[in-house]
Amino acid sequence: MYILKNSLISITRNKGRNILIGIIILVIAASSTITLAIRNTANKLVKDYQESNDIIGTISFNRQQLSGKFQKGEDAKKSNIEAFNQIEQLTLENIKNYGESEYLKSYYYIFSTSLNSDTLTKATDSFENQIENEGENKGENKGENKERDKELFQNDRNLTGDFELNGYSSYDAMTDFVSGAYKVTEGEMITDFNNFECVINSELATLNEISVGDTITLKNPNTEKTYDFIVKGIYKDDSNPDDSVNMYSQSVNKIITGSNVIETIIEDDNTLVTNITPSFILQSEDVIEAFTEELKEKGLNEYYTLNTNLDELENATQSIENVKTFATTFLIITLIIASIVLFVINMINIRERKYEIGVFRTIGVSKFKLTMQFVLELLIVSIIMLCIGCIGGAFLSKPIGNQLLKNEIEASETADKEISNNFGRGGEKMGGPMETRGISKVQQIDSMEAVVDIHVIVQLLGIGILLTIVSSLASMISIQRFSPLTILKERS
Amino acid sequence: MEILKLENIGYRYKDAPKDKYVFKNINYEFEQGKMYAIKGKSGSGKTTLLSLITGLEKCTEGKILYDNQDLKKMNLDKYRNTDIGIVFQSYNLLPSFTAIENIILSMDVSNVKIKNKKQKVLELMKSVGLSEEHANRKILKLSGGEQQRIAIARSLSYNPKIIIADEPTGNLDKETEAEILKIFEHLAKDENKCIIIVTHSQKVCDAADYVYELVNNEK
Repeated sequence: MYILKNSLISITRNKGRNILIGIIILVIAASSTITLAIRNTANKLVKDYQESNDIIGTISFNRQQLSGKFQKGEDAKKSNIEAFNQIEQLTLENIKNYGESEYLKSYYYIFSTSLNSDTLTKATDSFENQIENEGENKGENKGENKERDKELFQNDRNLTGDFELNGYSSYDAMTDFVSGAYKVTEGEMITDFNNFECVINSELATLNEISVGDTITLKNPNTEKTYDFIVKGIYKDDSNPDDSVNMYSQSVNKIITGSNVIETIIEDDNTLVTNITPSFILQSEDVIEAFTEELKEKGLNEYYTLNTNLDELENATQSIENVKTFATTFLIITLIIASIVLFVINMINIRERKYEIGVFRTIGVSKFKLTMQFVLELLIVSIIMLCIGCIGGAFLSKPIGNQLLKNEIEASETADKEISNNFGRGGEKMGGPMETRGISKVQQIDSMEAVVDIHVIVQLLGIGILLTIVSSLASMISIQRFSPLTILKERS
Repeated sequence: MEILKLENIGYRYKDAPKDKYVFKNINYEFEQGKMYAIKGKSGSGKTTLLSLITGLEKCTEGKILYDNQDLKKMNLDKYRNTDIGIVFQSYNLLPSFTAIENIILSMDVSNVKIKNKKQKVLELMKSVGLSEEHANRKILKLSGGEQQRIAIARSLSYNPKIIIADEPTGNLDKETEAEILKIFEHLAKDENKCIIIVTHSQKVCDAADYVYELVNNEK
């Protein structure tokens, strides 16, 4: 008990010395709090982000690999075409087979085809088409115009009908709705993936005066068989609000339904052109290789590859990772310098207090208790200053964290812009980390609420104790080494 | 019955040749209720002998027995904070502490269990001729004589059997020296303490019951 009492007396009676030590510890505490808060919050953000954003893999055709194997010369043309035609398209059975893997959390797919309609007008940006449609409405050259439309407006998937019918296997597959690019504004999303229900684009609905609850009829362009769909909802496409070039949104003719509906249609006519886009949700980053191997074992053609959104996920957290690295480096440097400074101050302090050590030893204070007293003095000053520094750091950590992150993002954007300029595209953004690359849209973390929580306080306390022990080493060694008699003789 | 016994004590510095002793074959006995003076010329090893008796140094030869226990086998920190009191020529008080804090500190270190330590300290200070107003003064605000009285009061605070003093009157004027000597005489005669004083002073030697003279063996 008297050790604590002596420590308190010593602290209050030697204000100058302790204020100096206190200021140094205060600076360390504040900077440590800020860096720890930033570091911990960044860790949490990255972890939360990784948990909320799955690693999604999709299978795509590797044209480069195929073209690399093409034979050269005029005679080789036929054999190259044959080689290309021999590559089997992915089937629904393939996808379901691949989906039965222990490396996956789940999987989903979009099964698409295209159908025509005698009752619906296809929305198009083409003036020529509009005039023709006017003619069509008047009953002139109806069949001819339809065929011409098909030639002019074939979409990139080579689906030949006017209306793209996208069959989703689950709600998870509706990534555009999850991300907010599409939003149901009237009615609701389809509830049964087997029923002939659909959700249509608001522009298509306006053009054809369709309301929720109406029935639309689509027709197989090959067999002329018709299918009636109940419109359950109408969605708005907000994926490209700044588009000033096109009259309609890209999804204007896209009709959303369940994948089982497409299967039913294909059962009626398997010659219909279909397209399947699978998405495999992987258990973790570690299983990507194993899953790729499994796909090969299950017969995936060598010209198909598994692509993941891993790079995009990493890019999305890159700025915050950079801030975290900066904070960690800063923390380490601060602690090293602080330890050295405190050690030196303590060395000087101990030399000044040699006489005191001599007196304590001669009146029978053990070396251990004396060491404890000196350590306790520093610990008390440290804890007081850590508390003040922690409060100050808590106020500063949020604005500093956000400023660092802002600088980091700005630096990253400037770098992107410079690259873009090199391509003669002015400030237009290149395929940067935030852009969609066909798998899923990844949003970059652009703000952080650096919070001083219990983890930060515990870590700070650990740092305080560590610093105290390191800087007290001087006093510990000196007390063990000093001979009280020698000290007192020197004094005399 | 002796409380402290020095048997064939010898001391040489660690870096000194093997036959070069500061002193050798010292055989002294000290009893309670008596005042002893140890005198000798400068360099004769008086302070060294005192450091051996107080356990601050270890003797090269022989042994020191406190209450028939060999000092080498005792906890010397406990020995210093319970069994002996030390008074130095330069007082060796803590300057950042007040007079009363210095004395209470000693009591705390000795683990003295009394309810009102402050009252006890004031009584002790009174017994060495200091008033209450000295109690809360910082050490450096006291005169040499007052500091020495505080040092004596500190050494008495935990009621040790032996008081060992190194030139306690060396820095004091004659009048104060006489007063300090009176305190020591009182402690020996009335408080049954064993007082051992290392000194140059003839006055101290005259006041002592026994005088031991150290002769330097190095010469």
